[in-house]
Amino acid sequence: MSYHKPDEKTLQALKDIANKLRIHSIKETCASNSGHPTSCCSAAELMSVLFFHTMRYKANDPRNPSNDRFILSKGHAAPILYAAWAEAGFIKESELLNLRKIDSDLEGHPTPKLAFVDVATGSLGQGLGAACGMAYTGKYFDKASYRVYCMMGDGECSEGSVWEAMAFASYYKLDNLVAILDVNRLGQSEAAPLQHNMDTYKERCKAFGFNTYVVDGHDVEELCKALWHAEQTKGKPTAIVAKTFKGKGLKGIEDQDNWHGKPMPKDRAEELINDLLSQIQSPNKPLHPQLPNEDVALADLTPIRLLTAPEYKIGDKMSTRKAYGVALKKMGDASPRVVAMDGDTKNSTFSDIFKKAHPDRFIECFIAEQNMVSVAIGCATRDRTVSFASAFAAFFARAYDHIRMAAISQSNVNLVGSHCGVSIGEDGPSQMALEDLAMFRAIPTCTVFYPSDGVSTERAVELAANTKGICFIRTSRPDTAVIYDAGEKFEVGKAKVVRQSDKDQVTIIGAGVTLHEALAAHDQLAKEGVNIRVIDPFTIKPLDASTIVASARATGGKVITVEDHYKDGGLGEAVLSALGEEPGIVVHRLAVSCVPRSGKPQELLDMFGISAKSIVAAVRRTFAN
Amino acid sequence: MEDYHKPDQQTVQALRNIANRLRINSIKATTAVGNGHPTSCCSVAEIMSVLFFHTMKYRPDDHKNPNNDRFILSKGHAAPVLYSVWVEIGFLKESELMSMCQVDSTLEGHPTPKQQFVDVATGSLGQGLGVACGMAYTAKYFDKSSYHVYCLLGDGEMSEGAVWEAMAFASYYQLDNLLAILDINRLGQSDPAPLQHHVEKYQRRCEAFGWHAIIVDGHSVEELCKAMSQPRHQPTAIIAKTIKGKGIPVAEDKMGWHGKVLSKDMAESVMRDIQSRILNSNKRMYPASPIEDAPPVSLRNVRMPSAPNYKPGEKIATCKAYGMAVAKLGRYNERVVAMDVDTKNFTCSEIFKNEHPNRFIECYSAEQNMVSVATGCAARERNIVFASGLATFFTRAYDQLRMAAISDSNINLCGSHCGLSDGEDGPAHMGLEDMAIFRAIPTATIFYPSDAVSTEKAVELAANTKGVCYVRTTRPETAIIYNSNEDFHVGQAKVVCQSKEDQVTVIGAGMTLHEALAAAEQLKKERIHIRVIDPFTIKPLDAKTIIDHVRSTRGRVITVEDHYYEGGLGEAVCSAIVNEPGFTFQRLAVAHVPRSGKMSDLFKIYGIDRDSIAQLVRKMLSSSANAK
Repeated sequence: MSYHKPDEKTLQALKDIANKLRIHSIKETCASNSGHPTSCCSAAELMSVLFFHTMRYKANDPRNPSNDRFILSKGHAAPILYAAWAEAGFIKESELLNLRKIDSDLEGHPTPKLAFVDVATGSLGQGLGAACGMAYTGKYFDKASYRVYCMMGDGECSEGSVWEAMAFASYYKLDNLVAILDVNRLGQSEAAPLQHNMDTYKERCKAFGFNTYVVDGHDVEELCKALWHAEQTKGKPTAIVAKTFKGKGLKGIEDQDNWHGKPMPKDRAEELINDLLSQIQSPNKPLHPQLPNEDVALADLTPIRLLTAPEYKIGDKMSTRKAYGVALKKMGDASPRVVAMDGDTKNSTFSDIFKKAHPDRFIECFIAEQNMVSVAIGCATRDRTVSFASAFAAFFARAYDHIRMAAISQSNVNLVGSHCGVSIGEDGPSQMALEDLAMFRAIPTCTVFYPSDGVSTERAVELAANTKGICFIRTSRPDTAVIYDAGEKFEVGKAKVVRQSDKDQVTIIGAGVTLHEALAAHDQLAKEGVNIRVIDPFTIKPLDASTIVASARATGGKVITVEDHYKDGGLGEAVLSALGEEPGIVVHRLAVSCVPRSGKPQELLDMFGISAKSIVAAVRRTFAN
Repeated sequence: MEDYHKPDQQTVQALRNIANRLRINSIKATTAVGNGHPTSCCSVAEIMSVLFFHTMKYRPDDHKNPNNDRFILSKGHAAPVLYSVWVEIGFLKESELMSMCQVDSTLEGHPTPKQQFVDVATGSLGQGLGVACGMAYTAKYFDKSSYHVYCLLGDGEMSEGAVWEAMAFASYYQLDNLLAILDINRLGQSDPAPLQHHVEKYQRRCEAFGWHAIIVDGHSVEELCKAMSQPRHQPTAIIAKTIKGKGIPVAEDKMGWHGKVLSKDMAESVMRDIQSRILNSNKRMYPASPIEDAPPVSLRNVRMPSAPNYKPGEKIATCKAYGMAVAKLGRYNERVVAMDVDTKNFTCSEIFKNEHPNRFIECYSAEQNMVSVATGCAARERNIVFASGLATFFTRAYDQLRMAAISDSNINLCGSHCGLSDGEDGPAHMGLEDMAIFRAIPTATIFYPSDAVSTEKAVELAANTKGVCYVRTTRPETAIIYNSNEDFHVGQAKVVCQSKEDQVTVIGAGMTLHEALAAAEQLKKERIHIRVIDPFTIKPLDAKTIIDHVRSTRGRVITVEDHYYEGGLGEAVCSAIVNEPGFTFQRLAVAHVPRSGKMSDLFKIYGIDRDSIAQLVRKMLSSSANAK
């Protein structure tokens, strides 16, 4: 096939739409008296060509699974995205003037409150990773013809996550992915580091394996041509590096400093708009996007259930991280929608058990945790897959901004962090997750599972697959005994009372290794005639306040929490929050209180005061008081 | 190539011998303790030998000497080879090495500054080069000294974006005193690294990012010596093609050996084999001494020379007060430096930049790298560093912050635009989890100043407080509530409004402190009096003041915060007052992902405004009245 230049009429219509998009962007941001019109204007021709020439989609059905995908990674250019959908006819032009208002879904940065937004953007450098997840899904899971377009700013190319995504896209030969770089030279507070050095951008994109075109980003014909070539290119993703001017088309503002994030002054807006209007030749010529190939089936949203109950016997010894791998493999058996990914730790997190059984549904993301989370989010958009991404729990700290944005994106990703706490032992503090519960608790849409044996881990994985929002499963390295019957039922927000008697004097709440330490303490104290109640919260968020309160009351108001986590933001504080106003309850918390060190797991549990020994001592102190 | 003198054969052999002794010790130690990554040590044996005994200039008996060349082992899991180097130098005893990773040893599984020769902890991959950038920037632009910075990276960690942030930074600032060595041993933990042994692809990427990149055989001492001796006019990357497990025949270039130790028998036979390759050479190798041209620096007792210059009632945003305070502090100590991520016009760090342009580092939109650069600049107590960005984007660097705590780093961070008060920009820009994550950093101090006076004091205190200091600032203007001579201390709250008739204690900070004060005014008209407390620092929290005052308001306490419920001010107070009998505690905070809108509307919708506070106070009083 060879390239046919669009006819003059079409080219003129695309130019006209670009100017209409500029006008809308100015009007919107004037109405809200905030926003980024100059960042919109640099992308006007790019948006026009993408939305009215290149992309195939149903304008009245933005979430159709066969549509091409579009991600505005430079989320601050939201007004022009809204303008494009107004021109496409999906939103009313009058609605544009409600930008950023409290009762409008046209927020300052795009969020999925809008049907045409798959992932929230506005934290820079995250769009391309999500686009990679979508493109991977399109090419390898859906095996469909939809393509993925991601519009990025030049400022955000300083974010390392962009280069993680670049490396990923070329490694997996995502030839259905196009990254468009709007190189408008100017950042927020000064020029971006590479200014208009188009060659440097080109060299970087090429070095990272992209088919790369440098174009004049304000020339609609060049854009049509480059995007056409992108579609013909096999085996490589394409980067369109577009030289543009910030504030293009705005006299006296174009390419000038100090216009980032500033609406046009009221007294100049009219003149600027008139100037743009005068360049529009056929204001009423509508262009319609091409329709997609409908080669994608709707997702089967029936709940995914394990085909068989867990196959563990009480007393069997195994780590919860291994149980995760087994469970995930079984979920993969139950549904083809389950996919998994890892950050080159699959032999430690045990996601390699899934990989062995379902190699086509496993994505190795290498050591790039930010990108892995973005890819997981991308894979889960439009319910195309149920994604599980695993790594050492500590290294989700690396991706916390992405996880935060996933909540704003209403994403249903499942994240699994292994090697939590000091119980990993000799590898030392850099590998120990001791802040992960604090992190995930502060994500509003998050469910935090902290299973304590093989059976509950398997059920946690099953529940996570069917729970909306972000799910985090915290797994441990050491082998621990199975404590639940294979038939035991688990629910989100329902704790288990693992040990109880009529004479319990203290309630101990532990999870993971510390639950087992609590059980050991229970046995030891029982020999001395002291009975304690032991609770496994199963989910830390939501926490089963009523079971905890009832147990606390039954044990004279005495509660001890014990956790392999720092004192701040973890299980202990969750319990304090849940107990809230309950009168007459005294809580003692055992947790790690300073940066730990290398050593044998049991030595460290002792040293940091969260072992059976420490629990026994705490119980005794409770009576001393 | 100008003036390169090849080392003599004796030297070359001596360096080879050292490399093999490093292998032997790495194998011996990991087998002895049954833990560690001997194969990742073996691939870098020649590199470490050449670096420490040929290229680097340092005083082996004075690790913290400011003139020494710096070394960072970014691939921290190769710790045993680093420890073996210091055994070879004679600083560590072999017996210490054989008990590494044990609970009473200061030689941990990954390097930490418990050892004098470690400046920053590593072990979370991809972070070393950013720190090295901070050190190299300091050497070149602040110290203006001749020491160089060497960073050894693994190929697996080249997948981390943070590495490329650092790469871009180093070339932008022409850090010709920075040398990165890439140990391309092909194999990662669970799979080969994505680029395998395609050293030319690494070279191309490095060159595209503005580095001079030299490909060498990483096991050739001669090639390494030559490459490292080249004059440098830009940051240089030595791309060393190596074999993972080199010297261990069964493991060489084989999958399945990452992080695996050799059995005792296997270790002994391998060590015998390696030993046989150590040829007699009488030559002892000593590192060259550094040029002593780093200026003396004192970071002790950095004080503001004058009291804050604000008048009560004056309105100013705490983010602006931050910029002014750091600029003022910078006037009286030339080692105060600042950096930002292209948000300096929001965080107001541009006030510092305008006044002290040579001490400001623009890090562009790369938050991870900024925190690493800050850590590097602060290492060996060379600078007092203030790094600013929007509060919420410190989430991007949380792994770096976590590691900064393990590194015992003294960095100061300022997050502006916290909470809903960011308004129309919407949730992507609102910091609503920053207190939760900083509270979970064990070495952190969290300042949350509520006016310009206390902001200035917070900056002064942060400069003198060890550990990671975080200052949370707000975008909207707020009234000055403190006198210029008011004294502030870490962990000391202020009672902003009190009377004998107070019935409820309300604790707020930043915007919500001002909302609480407005609620107090409102309630006064109804003859309801409340006590208002400004905690000043959220960590440590002044539990004593809070408990004393809550007791005097009959145990009634309300917290109100522009933050999510989890991990913020409310939970901090909860932790502080737990087990106090007879307390009634209620919290106001943001419960859901918020949205765009005017700040005042958002405060109402999410229930942290003055009306919500007043209403909760009334409710609390009526329910306690009902209880009687």
